[in-house]
Amino acid sequence: MAATTVLPRPKAYDDTFWKPISLWLTTTDHKLIGIMYMVTGILSFLIGGIFALIVRLQLAAPNLKVVDAETYNQLISAHGVTMIFFFVTIFLTGIANYMVPIMIGARDMAFPRVNLLGFWLVPVSIILYYSGFFTGGALNAGWTGYAPLTEKAYQSHSLGVDFWALSIIVWAISGIMASTNFLTTIVALRAPGMKLTRLPLFVWAQISTSILLLVVGAPLAAAMILLEFDRQLGTQFFTTAGRPVLYQHLFWFFGHPEVYIMILPGFGMISEVIPVFARKPIFGYMSMVAALFGIVFLSMTVWAHHMFTVGMNTYVEGFFMLMTMLIAVPTGIKFFNWMATAWWGSIDFTVPMKFAFGFLATFLIGGITGVYLASVPVDTQLHQSYYVVAHLHYVLFGGSVFTIFAGLYYWFPKITGRLLNRNLGEWNFWTLFIGFNGTFLIMHTLGLEGMPRRIATYSNEAWAATNLIITVSSFLIAFSVLLFIINIVSSWRGGEVAGDDPWHANTLEWATTSPPPPYNFERVPPVRSFMPLRDLRESGELEAETAAQPAPAH
Amino acid sequence: MRLITRSLVSLLGLLVAAISLSGCGIGGLSPIFPTPVSPNGQNIYDTYIGISVPALIIFIGVEAALLWIVVKYRRSRQPAGYVPPQTHGNTPLEIVWTIAPLVVVLAIALYSFVELQRDFQPVNNAAFTVVVSGHQFGWNYAYPQGFTVHQEGTLQGEVAPFVVPTNTLIKLQFQGTDVIHSWWVPAISGKTDAVPGYDNFSWLKIDRTGKWKGECAELCGVGHATMQIVVQAMSQSDYDQWVQEQLATKKGAAASPSS
Repeated sequence: MAATTVLPRPKAYDDTFWKPISLWLTTTDHKLIGIMYMVTGILSFLIGGIFALIVRLQLAAPNLKVVDAETYNQLISAHGVTMIFFFVTIFLTGIANYMVPIMIGARDMAFPRVNLLGFWLVPVSIILYYSGFFTGGALNAGWTGYAPLTEKAYQSHSLGVDFWALSIIVWAISGIMASTNFLTTIVALRAPGMKLTRLPLFVWAQISTSILLLVVGAPLAAAMILLEFDRQLGTQFFTTAGRPVLYQHLFWFFGHPEVYIMILPGFGMISEVIPVFARKPIFGYMSMVAALFGIVFLSMTVWAHHMFTVGMNTYVEGFFMLMTMLIAVPTGIKFFNWMATAWWGSIDFTVPMKFAFGFLATFLIGGITGVYLASVPVDTQLHQSYYVVAHLHYVLFGGSVFTIFAGLYYWFPKITGRLLNRNLGEWNFWTLFIGFNGTFLIMHTLGLEGMPRRIATYSNEAWAATNLIITVSSFLIAFSVLLFIINIVSSWRGGEVAGDDPWHANTLEWATTSPPPPYNFERVPPVRSFMPLRDLRESGELEAETAAQPAPAH
Repeated sequence: MRLITRSLVSLLGLLVAAISLSGCGIGGLSPIFPTPVSPNGQNIYDTYIGISVPALIIFIGVEAALLWIVVKYRRSRQPAGYVPPQTHGNTPLEIVWTIAPLVVVLAIALYSFVELQRDFQPVNNAAFTVVVSGHQFGWNYAYPQGFTVHQEGTLQGEVAPFVVPTNTLIKLQFQGTDVIHSWWVPAISGKTDAVPGYDNFSWLKIDRTGKWKGECAELCGVGHATMQIVVQAMSQSDYDQWVQEQLATKKGAAASPSS
């Protein structure tokens, strides 16, 4: 469309990254806020990764003393909290913040100043959590922080748990703000012609994610507030004399949907990436949307599958087992639809497409091990063992991280105007794929042989070789992430100029300039299907621009 | 081409890993639980194997289909100017891959539920009950004869064994005294949490003499990794003798402070 005719833009805006700090601090532009979310997420990814590497060094061989048990417990907790709360969720909020308004043809989010406040609560939450390290020790009870271990009777010397609880409360408020904003934006600010049935699947994924976070954010905050009552006001909700298992119910009513909050946007990104590079429309658009909402509903009915060893009525356990296994059905629909989209395609295996297939290949394993874990009898063996650690990383690393990389390689040209370097990207993908599987595939066996998770050390010599392989592989992941950071920094400064639509994509964000102007579109293109840009290209309305564009990068 | 070779190499790597997983005898790489010595552990083991049948079929089938897509439908392998069919879906096909997984998971759920009803109900025909209580950081085993085995956590050497007679159904009653612990000996059965405030139950019936190790499976504080568990099964006569020793030691210990 009219993207080649350039309207005057504010000078500061055109230097894609080096804007005055005052602009970064006060902007209500969803794109700049999105970038800040994403940068915060990536920084947290690096910090959480360093925690993980120290943990792996400690476990590289039996009876090591790299760190003491107390530090170890703080490290595993910080690794989990950082990756789940401050990396994956925050990064995904960022990429949605950037993309959702453009994809629906809006000029900004519905509540730009709420967006601003919601974002700035994130660094507050992060700083609160890490403050724990300077008050005698941060949270040391795992990212789940099971009571009564987090109660004052067992934590008298430090304020780490208090800072964690406050941090999570602030985080939940921020998440509720963002979710409200996303839903309002998508409901109220769609461009003419952008019916609900024409929304890009990434936007549908963001709707489902926002609904989930709206429902489960408050119970999480409630659990933290009750815990603080116990610790500071002497109540007995979750203490040894109280009802510690109630905490688990409240926590997992948030905790399990949180897994889907971290994966549904990834599903959405994969649903954008695969059709573009296979040159086929998404297979089964309506069943993809229905599957998202099937997952949303089911994910709120499965929380107690984290609690099969606490002692429950076997029929109640049977219910949670059944609901958990049923999630395989909508997930299976999505999986088969992605494969059917690529089937008979003309697939260009660019870096984002490689990450998409890396996701499919690994997430499948996480899904299958999930069925073992859902089976109550089998779960009593696998629960809280390294099998669970392997499973959750196949879901959250093979799932969330691979999809995040796919999305970043896909949208980086839109955000910065420059393509990420393809060679570095190839290296990034293969080292990550091999390093990831090297780390987590054999980890399943440790759990089967009886190695519990969260132990600071072990004396069993039979586990030594496996643990060493895992530690070595984990450093290959670190190397891969280093390549990724180098790629981001160098491509942002001097990467190949992307043009408006380097991938010949289908959705509206590619109809505007890269990076888009502050107001996103000079004139919002007409929307006639869920692939509006492709319609324009095929009807010849885009011809003028495609001629002026560089050839798609290969 | 370079890409295809690379994907083949990585696939080969995965295969090697898979084969080494299935190869027995390699320490720390077993794809299966330790040999079960108690019927409930055996049944869990069988359930695991049972689920593995559909799981492996689906795993191999889907990964093979993915590999087929990667090899067959890449643009470089398609004729020049190939335009893929612009299908938007296929309702019968989508119904098939909704119903098929549904049938599979319902079967797995039912199969698991049968085992759940069989081995996870409270037992009434136990020969006796041992009260197992967890604390920071160790386990106490209170026997009906009136003595208690203290299994204090350590990483230096072995902890005191929890001794049981072979071929005897023993009910385990779990109690938590401070935070939540979880009692787990993989060769015997799954884990049971020791939660303050209420009692949990499990059972064992070990069919051979020997010693099996486990440890606490719920993060319980700084000494979590030290909460080792050793279960020792003895013949009935050896067990009876061991009980007499324990009673004698207890009497001696009770006598000494008063003297």
